[in-house]
Amino acid sequence: MQGAEILLQPGVFPRLLQGLWVTVWIAGVSVGVSIPVGLVVGWLMTLKNPVVRALMRIYLDFIRIMPQLALLFLAYYGFARWFDWNLDATGACVLVFILWGGAELGDLVRGALQSIPKVQYESSYVLGLSPWQTFSRVILPQAVRRLLPASVNLATRIVKTTSLAVLLGVVEVIKVGQQIIDANRFQYPSGTLWIYGVIFFMYFIVCWPLSIVARQLEKRWSHD
Amino acid sequence: MTEPAQFNTDNAVNDEAVTAFETSAPSPSSDCKGFEVRHLVKQYANADKPVLNDISFKVEHGTVLVVLGPSGSGKSTLLRTIAGLEPIQGGTISINDQVIDEGRPGTEKAGRSNRSSALRTRIGMVFQSYDLFPNKTVLGNITMAPLLVQKRDKAQVEAEALKLLDRVGLADRKDAWPHELSGGQRQRVAICRALILHPEVLLLDEITAALDPEMVREVLDVVLELAKAGQTMLIVTHEMQFARAIADHVILLDGGHIVEESHDAYAFFAHPQTERARQFLHTFEFE
Amino acid sequence: MVFDWSFVARYAPFFVNGTLMTLFISVFGILLAIVVGLACAGIEIARVPVLRQIVRIYIELSRNTPLLVQLYFLYFGLPKLGVVWSAETCAIVGLGFLGGSYMAEAMRGGLEAVPKVQRENAYVLGLTPMQSITHVVMPQAISTAIPGIVANVIFLFKESSVVSAIALADVMYMAKDLIGMYYSTYESLFMLVIAYLVILLPISVLGTWLESRFDYARR
Repeated sequence: MQGAEILLQPGVFPRLLQGLWVTVWIAGVSVGVSIPVGLVVGWLMTLKNPVVRALMRIYLDFIRIMPQLALLFLAYYGFARWFDWNLDATGACVLVFILWGGAELGDLVRGALQSIPKVQYESSYVLGLSPWQTFSRVILPQAVRRLLPASVNLATRIVKTTSLAVLLGVVEVIKVGQQIIDANRFQYPSGTLWIYGVIFFMYFIVCWPLSIVARQLEKRWSHD
Repeated sequence: MTEPAQFNTDNAVNDEAVTAFETSAPSPSSDCKGFEVRHLVKQYANADKPVLNDISFKVEHGTVLVVLGPSGSGKSTLLRTIAGLEPIQGGTISINDQVIDEGRPGTEKAGRSNRSSALRTRIGMVFQSYDLFPNKTVLGNITMAPLLVQKRDKAQVEAEALKLLDRVGLADRKDAWPHELSGGQRQRVAICRALILHPEVLLLDEITAALDPEMVREVLDVVLELAKAGQTMLIVTHEMQFARAIADHVILLDGGHIVEESHDAYAFFAHPQTERARQFLHTFEFE
Repeated sequence: MVFDWSFVARYAPFFVNGTLMTLFISVFGILLAIVVGLACAGIEIARVPVLRQIVRIYIELSRNTPLLVQLYFLYFGLPKLGVVWSAETCAIVGLGFLGGSYMAEAMRGGLEAVPKVQRENAYVLGLTPMQSITHVVMPQAISTAIPGIVANVIFLFKESSVVSAIALADVMYMAKDLIGMYYSTYESLFMLVIAYLVILLPISVLGTWLESRFDYARR
């Protein structure tokens, strides 16, 4: 296994971890902001107003049909020229992930809200609950159960998609890996294999627990 | 409470009904004809006692046995073992003195009995959940097994299927998909699907239990017609009126045993012999 | 904002070539994914010992890592082990590796959704195990699995945009190249959007048609 020593070089692992932190930071901020955005989008999607509905439909369909990489290019190259808005690469990534996450989460929120049977509202009404009590005590807890597993899965997808940031030049874990490979090109020619292997497992270690959590939630809540 | 369906308890055979269904099962020529279960034992792998313990009975050719019992008494398991869906661990199952399944210990974990395709077609079964094959039309559902298993002629099979559908009042729905039918209609098609194989014994496992009340009658009427036409049947049901009307022979199961057996259905329902049977029948009364 | 139609006209052929490359990589990658998915679903359903554990590990690895890293590993990493594949091969293998797990999950879901009583009915009617699978279980499983499979196909077409990162001249690569060379942001991004619409809209329509064609088991 020649080449593996590259991983033991001083600074290599800490630098990769720093890069991973950037990845996780971008994903974390995006997911965090996506949640309120998604809630609002989901609520807008349930409105009867035809204009709002049509706009939301176009928004969701456009986000869904375009590859995330294309959206990243649109934001990075397009926004700078169209709005004179000099977004740096990290900003473009976060923006795209929020728009994407907001749309997907919004659709999940819409589905969860609409899947709650009308009789739940009716029995709350008959029991004398106020509209706010109905929403917070009856509807929301049920909606969250339907929402949470899919939302955790969405978070996993966002973490994975963060890898595309390297193509806009963001210095995250893959970019750091490439820098390490370049710097050690002559000393450790087969370092490429090891560095990419380590990055592969770093993503796995971040995403896998999320997948397990999502699966557990799904299993526990699918029975009621 | 809706009025319970009334069935004609008079056993006089109606001539028209006899011709309604052609049963191809051989006519009784000797007294050994019929279906028999001897000392049947069904044991599951992780259970401490058998679900069915030493069950024996005989159903004469052309007669109807109704199996009664509280839930968990093993009635459905009995029908499933007879159909071969569960291997048995003791005893025998035979048709016309030919043993088709023999109990073997050590099969507690096995999924199915290992009886052949041809043997399986001799025993028909209709289940409680009214699932037809959703990927086939009504006609496709009925003709599938005769074409695939018995390799019969397609034109002949289709003609017979149409005749059967006509008998159950569904001739005009032959090209419908299962999802377009009501539960009662699906059960009637399921009965045709079983009959086209000319089974010597037909097993009906609570076939109306999952149906809406207004559809129960249309299905049970078909079964009554079948009985009049001489189809040998084993029926598990919770419809007591129907049971009384159709049964030639009744057994009451409880805890995996036969607690009462009677060849006079009227007497069984009017004057049960055991305390257990009285209790059981009492749960269906509301006076 | 000035939109230069002559630029679009001049460089449209590049995008046509790029679209063909995207189609080429995606179609073969998806076919590979379906084959891998079928094999994995079969192994899981049949509970083949050992292989089943390997399939589980593969599915977890494939679903929890990004395609870009998988491609870099294949394209830059593997040659160090003496395995030198062309960019096209890496892209197809990468898509197959990623998509295989998604396809396997969709297919397994379809198979598991067939009610037990359907198999029991087939058994009681005398069908052999093989007839039961081909005439009863498979048609219903396919029907339930199709929406998931169609969603995966669309997902993989979109994911294929990542292959531009290993210097494959797909539509994404063309757009990036033209923006880099001429700073023709509007026109290039416009053509990029059109190219993806041209690829994905028919697939999405075809998918909807397939779903309605096979939806007997879900009604």
